[in-house]
Amino acid sequence: MRRRLLLTLLLAGSAGLRAHPEIEVALQRLNAGIAAAPTDAALYLERGKLYARHDEATAAEANYLLAAELAPNLPGLARARGALALATGQPAEALELLNRAVLRDPIDATARVFRGRVHAALHDPRAAVADFDAAIQLVPLTSPELILERAALLPAPEALRSLDAAIERLGPAIALQLHALALEESLGRTDAALVRLDRIATQSERRESWLKRRGDLLLRAGRIAESRAAYASALAAVASLPAWLRDSPESVRLTAELTLLSQKNS
Amino acid sequence: MKLPPLLLLLLLIALVAAAPGQAAPAIVRGPYLQSATPTSMVIRWRTDTTEASVVSYGTVRNQLTSVVKAEGISSEHIVYLGGLKPDTPYFYSVGSAPLAVAGKGKAGAEDAPGRPSTYAFTTPPVAGPAKPTRIWVLGDPGTKNDVQRAVRDVYQKFTGKRATDLWLMLGDNAYPDGTDTDYQKAVFEMYPETLRTSPLWPALGNHDGKSANSVTQSGVYYDIFTLPTRGEAGGLMSGTEAYYAFDYANIHFVCLDSNDSDRSPNGAMMQWLKADLAATSREWIIAFFHHPTYSKGTHDSDKDSDSGARMNDMRAVFLPVLEQGGVDLVLTGHSHVYERSWFIDGHYGKSDTFSAAAHTKQPGNGRADGDGVYRKRRGRVPNAGEVSVVTGSAGHASAKPVPLNHPVFVVALNEAGSSVVDVDGLQLNLTFLNDQGEKRDWFSIVKE
Repeated sequence: MRRRLLLTLLLAGSAGLRAHPEIEVALQRLNAGIAAAPTDAALYLERGKLYARHDEATAAEANYLLAAELAPNLPGLARARGALALATGQPAEALELLNRAVLRDPIDATARVFRGRVHAALHDPRAAVADFDAAIQLVPLTSPELILERAALLPAPEALRSLDAAIERLGPAIALQLHALALEESLGRTDAALVRLDRIATQSERRESWLKRRGDLLLRAGRIAESRAAYASALAAVASLPAWLRDSPESVRLTAELTLLSQKNS
Repeated sequence: MKLPPLLLLLLLIALVAAAPGQAAPAIVRGPYLQSATPTSMVIRWRTDTTEASVVSYGTVRNQLTSVVKAEGISSEHIVYLGGLKPDTPYFYSVGSAPLAVAGKGKAGAEDAPGRPSTYAFTTPPVAGPAKPTRIWVLGDPGTKNDVQRAVRDVYQKFTGKRATDLWLMLGDNAYPDGTDTDYQKAVFEMYPETLRTSPLWPALGNHDGKSANSVTQSGVYYDIFTLPTRGEAGGLMSGTEAYYAFDYANIHFVCLDSNDSDRSPNGAMMQWLKADLAATSREWIIAFFHHPTYSKGTHDSDKDSDSGARMNDMRAVFLPVLEQGGVDLVLTGHSHVYERSWFIDGHYGKSDTFSAAAHTKQPGNGRADGDGVYRKRRGRVPNAGEVSVVTGSAGHASAKPVPLNHPVFVVALNEAGSSVVDVDGLQLNLTFLNDQGEKRDWFSIVKE
């Protein structure tokens, strides 16, 4: 078994990796380390991660397997193997490995995120949400990406509540607000969408594009008079820009578009 | 034997001073300046033991009459100074007591032996109006070696008494793994003087990413830096330190995470970028991130297998949005060379799809003493031309020959060095200084 793995490792030596001098240096450093300490499982894990980062899944897996043979409980190994299995489209295997990783270190937020993604891939949104929740609780500052990933697993009303909770915790990050705005629109809740849009506009130094979007939203909802008012506000916002911005082609184009929209709907 | 009372007293003082646990904590990192705004500054430093986090400051060197103390005690100190005056020099000192100068190998202030205990910074001016601005740009600096030192020393000689208003690190700030120890040697012991006088704005590189995770906002990079997540330094709120914006005078800076955040067209980073670009009223837009949109140096932007297609993503997904949003200058690293593009727009494919006729907005090298500076209409003009610069050799150039044959570049050099960006009103100048102190490239963009 071990001999076969070593052979695999040799065969898996990636021409792609060797093409990049910087990676070659890292690989040489690890190869030298392994030559000096061939039973150091951590070095195989590190080499596997290097291959994984450069999309060399076969070589990565071979290194992970060797690390597992040397030290089955090596910290970080189950997580790395699980992440690789997920990336290579093997969610069932990934789940088994990540269960092991979480069991070993229940406060490993990254392992929780990976396992959440595995659950999502296995069409188990509740389990995915539970893992994302655990990850969010484990770190002081969560990225908007994780919040959006979690919200995407929920029905729209529940997703909105989760976004609002995140906005309360992290602040009104633009990506979260825009997603909430889209959800309000998808639910046909125009007034709620307008409130969110206004909140976004107040954060922005330049408000004209948000005011135009307000007009568009109202127009789609059949609220013609209000949409005209929004377009007029957008025109006023453009007019209030400093001359060098107001007279620039982008502003001139927007002014023309807003004027046309106002006229079309008068 | 009977000792005279005065000698006894001196002995007693010496014993007390030498007693273990009685010495004032020594600074082993910093201080360093973060998240500068016209009215605030974050000052961070590390001590060898825990103590209160106190900053004394004022506008007169010997009158540090304002004092801010953070809650609790720590060895990792983060103090927020608010209510400052824009464009104003401040003096400051850190620590709850007179601080010991750290010994060699601790603070390791390589460029500042005999560190004084009072430091100085100048707050950024109010965003909007122009002010001559000097920006030092370091790509892939963190080798900890003599080349990194030479690049640093060349810049310091070049800038002389001209203050560095801010500096950018384009990722791979600390090799090989972006660990705390790597950062200590490659950043904190390498640039102590600049760190305590000029705010540093970093981007995440792939080597930093080995010890950091953007999704969970955890790891060394995120522990070390305090970056604006709420749009507090200008621009819109990103909600993450992985990508952020800030303003300085008439410049809007956008930092992207090309390594670890979602790079998809509908991802959070893209949504934020589009909204942020639409919201700014600054004259200049400078974007910086780690992975280059084009390169034929130590990395090849034509190969999707290289760096997990990140270069392709930044070129094909993000560059169109940046150019449409009016970006003037794109600064990247990752490839350990210097490559500088023509004045371009709309080239989002592989190198064999580049056409000078279709993708250059103005021919020439952009030099006043050459083919003439690049000229751009003032105002927010989508797709009006930008210059993409790969300046990833602040720590080392390639030891082996590299192709350097991407047709988008007018200058390509396999030389160590760093870039200096000077913005003065409606003119932007970039100079590449190699590690021998030679100006190896320069160009200007003028708005009119």
